[in-house]
Amino acid sequence: MSRDGIAGLAVLAASLVLFVLTLDLQDSPMVPVGPGFYPRIVLGLTALLSLGLVISDCLAQRQRRSEPPVAVATAVAAKERLNYPLVAISFGVFALYCIALPGLGFRIATFAYVVASNAVLAPPRGLKGWAGSVTLGLLTAFITWLVFERYLSVLLPRGRWTQF
Amino acid sequence: MFELLGAGIVNVLQFKYLIPLFVGTLIGVVGGALPGITITMTIIVVLPFTFGLEPLQGLSAMIGVYVGGETGGLITSCLLGIPGKPSAVATTFDGFPMAKKGEPGRALWLGIWASIFGGLLGAVFLVATTGPLARIALQFGPWEFFSLFVLALSMVAGLVEASLAKGLVAGALGMIVTILGNDPVMGQKRLTLGIPMLEGGIDFLPVLIGVFAFAQIMSEVERMGGAHKAIDAVQRGVSLAVSHLKIILEIVSRPLLLLWSTFIGLAIGVLPAIGGSAANMLAYDQAKKFSRHPEKFGTGTPEGIIASEASNNANVAGSLVTIMAFGIPGDAVTAVMLGALTIHGIQSGPLFIVQNATLAYGMFAAYIVAHALVLAILLVGVRWMLRIVEIPKATLFPVVLVLCTIGAYALSNTMSNVYVLLVFGLFGYAMVKFGFPLAPFILGVILGDQIEINLIRAIMTDANPWLFLTRPISGSLLVLSVASLAFAIWQHYRQRARVATEVEADF
Repeated sequence: MSRDGIAGLAVLAASLVLFVLTLDLQDSPMVPVGPGFYPRIVLGLTALLSLGLVISDCLAQRQRRSEPPVAVATAVAAKERLNYPLVAISFGVFALYCIALPGLGFRIATFAYVVASNAVLAPPRGLKGWAGSVTLGLLTAFITWLVFERYLSVLLPRGRWTQF
Repeated sequence: MFELLGAGIVNVLQFKYLIPLFVGTLIGVVGGALPGITITMTIIVVLPFTFGLEPLQGLSAMIGVYVGGETGGLITSCLLGIPGKPSAVATTFDGFPMAKKGEPGRALWLGIWASIFGGLLGAVFLVATTGPLARIALQFGPWEFFSLFVLALSMVAGLVEASLAKGLVAGALGMIVTILGNDPVMGQKRLTLGIPMLEGGIDFLPVLIGVFAFAQIMSEVERMGGAHKAIDAVQRGVSLAVSHLKIILEIVSRPLLLLWSTFIGLAIGVLPAIGGSAANMLAYDQAKKFSRHPEKFGTGTPEGIIASEASNNANVAGSLVTIMAFGIPGDAVTAVMLGALTIHGIQSGPLFIVQNATLAYGMFAAYIVAHALVLAILLVGVRWMLRIVEIPKATLFPVVLVLCTIGAYALSNTMSNVYVLLVFGLFGYAMVKFGFPLAPFILGVILGDQIEINLIRAIMTDANPWLFLTRPISGSLLVLSVASLAFAIWQHYRQRARVATEVEADF
């Protein structure tokens, strides 16, 4: 099964689980249809569509099997090499930023995040490189804080642990 | 109408509106010029800055980004051969060869002036049609709105480049997001999955920011760290000076090309969520088909640049018509604008122009004035733009994600929206990797509540479900939805058959 089939199965499973959960929803005496009426339509439709996706993937898979293996191998080899570890690390750093934000506060967490993220995406070379990353972190944290808190009256998170 | 428009222009020319419009336009031009940074991303970055502004100030800034971004994308297309954004891809086909042949100034300014003309012709359509279309929409009952939103979703799902099944599943997934949390009619809790954060439902803006920002940034990040292709750019010292009168004459001497490309841009803009990327390719293709010298396309012909650039700026006007008359976002950029309207407590849809005439005509005026500002910015700073595009992505991306975080946080001053941003960032990236289109998903998230509200209202008014089909407008809209899906299926099979024929022909 290809990625379409896997995605279809995942969506099918999720929509069926949610559909079962809607059966517990109580109807309201105020309106002719209860809170579960529309979700059931949406989830039923999603389940049907994802089932269609799985079936079409299985049919396509059968067709692909009948194709000459050379063509498939060429298509796979033509794929660009992508840096997934960097994507995973970048997501990880951002997730840590989101988790640390309420504890450290906007200014400290943003400074740390920008320095870390910049270092992950383009590892600094020597002291000058690190100085550049730190400056970027400081400027981002300070300027965004200044603009949003002082001029646009948007209150940014204060740190539970740092009170800053 | 003209009085209101005149008042709108006078209003927008006041410093308090002109400054955000100028700043937005400048950011748009820079964002549009930066390869890998789309207009959607730029407008998401600008969004949090608009929270503390008046509605017209914020919307002016966003319109400035939209107009500036559409024009800015052509700079790198012409001078570096790299489209600054997807809607400038077709500009590259002739803009870069013309620049390489020693006429970079001509290539650039043909694009800029064609953008201005296309945009201003689009303004005529925007001002003339939004009011009448909104008046038609005012006659709609819940049956018609339900059918209209279903039509919008089915068109988007059918017209996206990925498979129809994936487009429909993506739209349905977007609608699932709206059923989590609470029922919009009675406010009853439902499908909270035991997560307290879900009890109030999920705001669409953090979802939109997360999905688009991460899908794009992570798609760029996955290409980082490898060998970089050498850019075959036009030399930096080369002169970009041209006779503007000559360039303008070169464009207006092709009135049919200009008008047809503008029309294509407008028509694609009015259709929900297709966007400028389709408009510029279609306009380029049409210009080539109607040209007496189609063989010259791709070698640096002015027609290619004019068609692409006139259409992508007119596309902005088309998208604004759809959002202002019907409350349906024409693309991701107008979806963010819809969010900005909601934040300021303004209900979009057919009543918008009646209840907020000053704001609506202010938006029209901002759209027109933004074109003049784009021209002024590029007259002064076109050369600087080439330096700005050299900003490393490793510097840009963390800053963009910090601004996205602020945008999500500031919606309700709670961390829950930041967590929604993170979750949907992962989800959006996964969607891209599994080949699901994002546009139907976002439209599903935006329209899901409205579809439910109108469905329930219709049933509460009259429980007869056949009314959806027997009421003329509602019935026609539903027939159109089915027709658009049937068309998508037919197109899909025709394309498969064509590919099969081509493969056979190789033997």
